[in-house]
Amino acid sequence: MGRPARRPLGAAVPRWIPGDAAEEQALLAELGLRQFDDLFADIPRKVRLGRLGLGPGRDELDVVRAVDKILDRNRPMGRFASFLGGRVAHRFQPAAVDAIVSRSEFYTSYTPYQPEASQGMLQTLFEFQSLWVELTGLDAANASLYDGATAAGEALLLAHRIHPGHRFLVPASLPWEEKSVLANYAAGLPIRIEEIPYDERTGRLDLEFVRSAVAEQNVFGLLADVPNGFGHLDEGLWDVKEILGKVPLVVVADPLALTVLDPPGNWGADVVVAEGQGFGSSPSFGGPLLGLFACRREHLRLSPGRIVGATADAAGRTGFTLTLQTREQHIRRSRATSNICTNQSLLALAFVVYASVVGPSGLAALQTRLSERARTLAAALGSIDGLAAPRFEAPYLGEFAVEVRGAEATTFLDRLRRRRVLGGHPLADPRPGATGLPASLYLTAATEFTDEKEIQRYAKAARASVGPHRGASS
Amino acid sequence: MTFRQARWDEPLLWELAPPPPEPPAPDAIPGIPDRLRRKQGVAWPELSELEVVRHYTRLSQMNFGIDTSAYPLGSCTMKYNPKVSERLARRPGAAELHPYQPVSTVQGALEIIWRLERALGRLTGLAEASLQPAAGAHGEFAALLMARAFFRDRGELEQRTEVLLPDTAHGTNPASAMMAGFTTREIASKEGCVDLAALRAAVSDRTAVFMLTNPNTAGLFESEIQEIAGTVHDAGGVLYYDGANLNAILGVTGPGRMGFDIAHLNLHKTFATPHGGGGPGAGVLAANERLAPYLPVPRVVKQGRKFVLDYDRPKSIGKIKTGYGNFGLDLRAYAFLLYHGEDGLRHVSRRAVLNANYLARRLGKFLPRPFRELVKHEFLLSGAPLKAKGVRTLDLAKRLLDEGVHAPTVYFPSLVDEALMIEFPETESRRELDAFAAAFERAVTDTPENLHAAPRNLAIGRLDEVRAAKELRLSWRDLRSAAGKVEAPAPVPSAG
Repeated sequence: MGRPARRPLGAAVPRWIPGDAAEEQALLAELGLRQFDDLFADIPRKVRLGRLGLGPGRDELDVVRAVDKILDRNRPMGRFASFLGGRVAHRFQPAAVDAIVSRSEFYTSYTPYQPEASQGMLQTLFEFQSLWVELTGLDAANASLYDGATAAGEALLLAHRIHPGHRFLVPASLPWEEKSVLANYAAGLPIRIEEIPYDERTGRLDLEFVRSAVAEQNVFGLLADVPNGFGHLDEGLWDVKEILGKVPLVVVADPLALTVLDPPGNWGADVVVAEGQGFGSSPSFGGPLLGLFACRREHLRLSPGRIVGATADAAGRTGFTLTLQTREQHIRRSRATSNICTNQSLLALAFVVYASVVGPSGLAALQTRLSERARTLAAALGSIDGLAAPRFEAPYLGEFAVEVRGAEATTFLDRLRRRRVLGGHPLADPRPGATGLPASLYLTAATEFTDEKEIQRYAKAARASVGPHRGASS
Repeated sequence: MTFRQARWDEPLLWELAPPPPEPPAPDAIPGIPDRLRRKQGVAWPELSELEVVRHYTRLSQMNFGIDTSAYPLGSCTMKYNPKVSERLARRPGAAELHPYQPVSTVQGALEIIWRLERALGRLTGLAEASLQPAAGAHGEFAALLMARAFFRDRGELEQRTEVLLPDTAHGTNPASAMMAGFTTREIASKEGCVDLAALRAAVSDRTAVFMLTNPNTAGLFESEIQEIAGTVHDAGGVLYYDGANLNAILGVTGPGRMGFDIAHLNLHKTFATPHGGGGPGAGVLAANERLAPYLPVPRVVKQGRKFVLDYDRPKSIGKIKTGYGNFGLDLRAYAFLLYHGEDGLRHVSRRAVLNANYLARRLGKFLPRPFRELVKHEFLLSGAPLKAKGVRTLDLAKRLLDEGVHAPTVYFPSLVDEALMIEFPETESRRELDAFAAAFERAVTDTPENLHAAPRNLAIGRLDEVRAAKELRLSWRDLRSAAGKVEAPAPVPSAG
């Protein structure tokens, strides 16, 4: 019984499986078995697989070469002047963050079911929860969910548990991906998700729509985002809780914006969720991301996800442990508040390390710089015929929506791309036949990597890319 | 008994540099109305990089990981996470990609996804795979939504409201079923496996899905799987494969071959991506021809030599998360597949199953093993006999920690009294297995006093979990107000 063959390149092959054929034979002998196949005697012949055509194994050098060869076909954002934003942020990550995240005591550990063996991760998650509480102004946070969109989905489910009704209101300007995720999280409930129209000039939510919907007494929740899907701050949100009364308000917030904005807990939010990748983690083609979740203490027992609490050992020393586990799937099964098991702990660690390395004043200063840069960007793009930039008249921080007048944003952005500018991403739902935001809109973002020079390059490329284009389309 | 975990008197971050009671408001930003602004800065400490690095380095030293300790959690497949994968995932060509870049600039990323989806399709014996789910439970949920859509198309959704599962099912299964709007019904097991007669009696025209793990959580292969599949399909139901335990059967059999219609896999188990202290993971959905049209969008497809994102799937359930899945983990899993190759993957399962059976044989001398002898990648022991001397499985688990090894999964599955569920994946050597067996013997034969007093060699003693749930101190604010001091962070009694 030989060990598997691999492509004979001759480079070093570290052993990911220990021992050798002799060790394996000895182990089999201890079991009174002669061959590996005896271990699989309980698997009927009829369900056995034949050859799969997956190829031979490789040595480590060969693996690196093969993967690098494929990755070379990517052009990462650093090769462009990139203004991509939205929930996934392109942000400079201080080296200290990855140094800590790379501690294998953290990244090779499991969910801390044995708290005494995992105080490091548990204390970290406690600090993470504490930070999210400070940023949101709510009472309690959990130890993370998959991403901002699924956190919004869980928030919808929580709202449905705490308030009667069958209508859930979301902004029409919400990113289409989040709408789709919300629809899936709601699929098992007898409810309807309705879109709140926005004002054509300001992009603000139509509060009269909200008022009349709430008056019908069948709305169980309203979700709104800060900044909204157009990158703007909607001042009307600061009044929406007055309209909602006891109807839960779910706020999707940007963590960096919360370092300078009045925390949603102060203006009536019952749940605050967010995408937290920008604090400490790379975009990584959209995953892994980090879902943040905070709510009011009175709703904690109905809320999803792992929660870390402080306690003590027999000697009275403070320690940390997972708590309120009776809400969770491994205890409560079909009556759990969520099915979530694996979450995003390592990104939660990155989040709290990033925030601590940069510090609260550093974070606010960063948001201020990005806002200044976004204003420079708006001035540069706003003067171009054929673009409305920003498209809406409302306050903004680091990003805003642009309208390409009379044309599709995808075409325009592709022309920019050929000039080595990634101008942003289209806001329309790409699914054929989908209704939603107009194809002429895209979102553009200021980043730490795009200074005055890149902004002028963007403006120049944009000027050359608007309007009818008679050139080849490839 | 020479193990001692680091025991730093490491305070909370706020104690290092307590923020002022009323942090100054950040500077005004032009164009932002005053009303929207923070009136106070974020109450968080201002620390130097070294202070932060030292704090988290010390915390890391109070944490077990695979790199420090054997980690035999059953059903969690805590195998070695190869370092080369960590390096590859940090390449700019992987980490510095935005999900909304034009597809012409991310051809390599799409190729990785495409190749991995195809390889996993072959391994599972199912037609198509999607990497979009963020984790196993997320994959289960998505799969059940696909089943919903499938039955809606057939006009059977109103009638097929029931998800069946064995009593040994992972807790995520019934929870996912509930989230997807189904009711659940448990099928009692017989000798640790599905009782075929009970299943036959339970299926009906209300049956939507039967969810099954094979090998199951008792570590046993459900040898009657063809009969199970026939029973579910004859009743018009969908058979769902929970892939948490795939590490036992790579290249030997696969869900499609066994008759499953749809499956989820955990890249963070079988395919060696790190668990990250609880996450991130990566779930995979794989489906046969009947259910593949319902997979989430976009699908990565190859057109000529180019890879594109295909959104034109009218039956698709849509999106279940932002982006295309946890790409950073997909890349690691792809490297794992390349390293092993087909024969290597088969060897992974052979060695995992060999390890489990060898260790089961050794530990079976100390505690009874329920059910039959031959197991797959994990096995159960019952700690029930210890109750006679006043010792519980929990005590044994804590005592094992003192040996410098992580404890097994405990009290699951519930059909075994005082259960211990043990899994030693293929990356653990005979030396580790023998060392664990020796540690287990010391622990199980120790005095009740010592078992009750465990752990003693860790950063902290046994924690009062009841108190945690009663007091609900979940943040620094809670600690501060519990201490009755509003003006400054309360000093937290720290380890020492």
